[in-house]
Amino acid sequence: MTGKELLLRALADRGVQTIFGYTGGAIMPVFDQMDKLGHFRFIMSRHEQGAAFMAQGLSRASLSTANPQVGVCMATSGPGAMNLVTGIADAYMDSVPMVAITGQVATGVIATDAFQESDVVGVMMPISKQTYMPLFVDEIEQTVHEAFYVATTGRGGPVVLDIPKDVQNVQVDKDYHFDTAAFRPALPGFYYHPTPAREPLQKAVELINRSERPVIFCGHGVINSNAGQLLQQFAEKVNIPVAFTLHGLSALPLDHPLSLGMMGMHGTVEANRAIMEADLLISFGMRFDDRVTGKLSEYAQNADVIHVEIDPSEIGKNVQPTVAINADVYRTLHVLVSDPMLAGKPRRRWRQRIAEAREVMAADLRREIDKGVGDDGALLMKTIIDRLSKLTGGRDLIVSDVGQHQMMAARFYNYQTPNSWFASGGAGTMGCSLPMAIGVKLARPDERVWSINGDGGFQMNMQELGTIMEQGTDLKIMILNNGYLGMVRQWQTLFFDGRYAGTPMQSPDFGQVASAYSIPYRKVTELAEVEPAIQEAIDHQGAIMLEFVCDPSEVILPMIPAGGGFNDMIIKRPKAKKEKS
Amino acid sequence: MKRRAILAFMLDRPGVLQKVSMLIRKKMYNVDTLTVCNSRKEGISRMTITLREDDEEKVQQILSQLEKFTEVVSVKELDTDHSYWREAAIIKVEADDEHLESFRKDYTFEILDHKSDEIHIIQIAGSTRRIDAFVKALGEEHIIEIARTGVTALEK
Ligand SMILES: Cc1ncc(C[n+]2csc(CCOP(=O)(O)OP(=O)(O)O)c2C)c(N)n1
Ligand SMILES: [Mg+2]
Repeated sequence: MTGKELLLRALADRGVQTIFGYTGGAIMPVFDQMDKLGHFRFIMSRHEQGAAFMAQGLSRASLSTANPQVGVCMATSGPGAMNLVTGIADAYMDSVPMVAITGQVATGVIATDAFQESDVVGVMMPISKQTYMPLFVDEIEQTVHEAFYVATTGRGGPVVLDIPKDVQNVQVDKDYHFDTAAFRPALPGFYYHPTPAREPLQKAVELINRSERPVIFCGHGVINSNAGQLLQQFAEKVNIPVAFTLHGLSALPLDHPLSLGMMGMHGTVEANRAIMEADLLISFGMRFDDRVTGKLSEYAQNADVIHVEIDPSEIGKNVQPTVAINADVYRTLHVLVSDPMLAGKPRRRWRQRIAEAREVMAADLRREIDKGVGDDGALLMKTIIDRLSKLTGGRDLIVSDVGQHQMMAARFYNYQTPNSWFASGGAGTMGCSLPMAIGVKLARPDERVWSINGDGGFQMNMQELGTIMEQGTDLKIMILNNGYLGMVRQWQTLFFDGRYAGTPMQSPDFGQVASAYSIPYRKVTELAEVEPAIQEAIDHQGAIMLEFVCDPSEVILPMIPAGGGFNDMIIKRPKAKKEKS
Repeated sequence: MKRRAILAFMLDRPGVLQKVSMLIRKKMYNVDTLTVCNSRKEGISRMTITLREDDEEKVQQILSQLEKFTEVVSVKELDTDHSYWREAAIIKVEADDEHLESFRKDYTFEILDHKSDEIHIIQIAGSTRRIDAFVKALGEEHIIEIARTGVTALEK
């Protein structure tokens, strides 16, 4: 057998069914073999970045299904590999397991600046969990297995395999033998602690029982370990409210009576105020990043912190915990829920305090959503998301791009389905939504998938409409077109005296773009058309694109400015300065 | 700032050194010294890194991030009270025998080579401070070239 055959055999052994990618000189042998084999479903992206996000979508969406998949993307050397970089860095930030395979120039010419040679390992090293460059054909299979092991063990992440072209073609020795079932990676230093230690757990229970003003944090780790239901049980048992990180959303229903909604920069008043006043934070699977904490010196000053996290290097990185539990979230919750010492308390004053916080913006938001349009009559994003939520019962899968529309989708869609919210969080990569949604749809073909985009981000990867057309992917594509890079514009409104440098944006006629790809299209300018258009998309079989003409001056509030604390929270839009349009 | 020594054992795989130094760069430190050698176990390297940091939590961060690398088997900080930190130096000096011999009573060094009556190559090992003192005592004007290994360390 040759290197390429061993590679594909190992991928098949690992349960890979779909490969996203784009060919080129240094990866051609593998593509050729893949085609001959006919075992894999190959999905050609229109740009390698698209393939990386598709692979992410598959990994993210399938982890809660009976058939969890590790997304695999392939690209050629040099420019092909470099086009994967953004998608890999994004997966690394968001702990998404994935395997990227790149062709490399032949070993004989490596380091001669050969045609399409880039130092892929050198570039990928700081943005991936691990990189490999097998130089001998008999290393390939074991490398692939180790790569999958590393990508999926403990905190997930992307792994890169850079395989020189000649190694793909070389015949392995006749007596080569690889025993997949018996394979164990030889990584003496790579271990993780899935099981919580008893002592800190006991201490945690004591703190929980004693607390008067506790808040539970639901982070990405809850989704990644499929622990949403357990978290809900736990919260109900101890009667403690739950705040979500961006990636913790959809772990349990967002309208659960104990839910405080999202925390952090664009989090709800109730979540952020509860955190500020809390005497105990019980955090599951999250890393206290700056969008969550704001100014660290002012963050939750009177609170003890219980930090449950699979990655020990996250514990104590930004916030020093009172009790550190380095373990898998699911296993910890499993033990915690059934702890006989764990007790619920009414905590009436705390509930009262939170109920008050819920009212701070509620009426304003309700009024805005009901009004549905801005001063100049253009649609409000929050209203569109609210209507989408109502018409779909909050049960659909939402794949958002990055910007104001993302925060609107995080805040105003009423998530009911576990693991139904997908977005780029740590990296905040514009353009992720369309390709990621393709991967999500593949993983969950029986669910409806919405790709929600801004006019800016959509144009970063809209070439993937070609993939959607070719694959016949049934995606509901929304463009919330406010004619601006809206999120940056919002900062300009709030912090740059309304000077809109580099944010007004001209877009193509999206109707013509859609029709070029034979995708039906509706443009919505009136409030009354919003629901019928969404309903049409729901009823339509296959891809459809809806463009909503949105009010550029809409802002997403509340907002805690970068580096600020809870007391800097902006809850009212400042009187509009003269806005040039 | 306080000088720290970090001792790490890691798989001898390509790129490990680059990873370690990239991490330290990412955390915005300048490495003071970095030494690597084989350990007694085949395929496992032993690395000693020294850098400067006062904040215990920041050092802990570096340790846990290093530990996270799949290749890293173990990491710990060595403190000066419970470990020996030593380096070696090879020095080409221009001095007459008499000048050199005058240091014998305070320093232990070995003469590797007499290039001529005036030029000697000598070798000395000891703590960083000790070598600094020796270099100072010799006198900069006598030194043609100096090669120092950087710190390696061992727990008591
Ligand atoms: C690749 C990339 N470039 C730049 C940014 C910075 N950025 C964050 S949000 C944003 C504006 C997004 O505009 P649009 O897609 O129209 O969405 P809107 O905010 O208007 O809803 C920009 C430029 C980014 N996050 N990602
Ligand atoms: Mg926009």
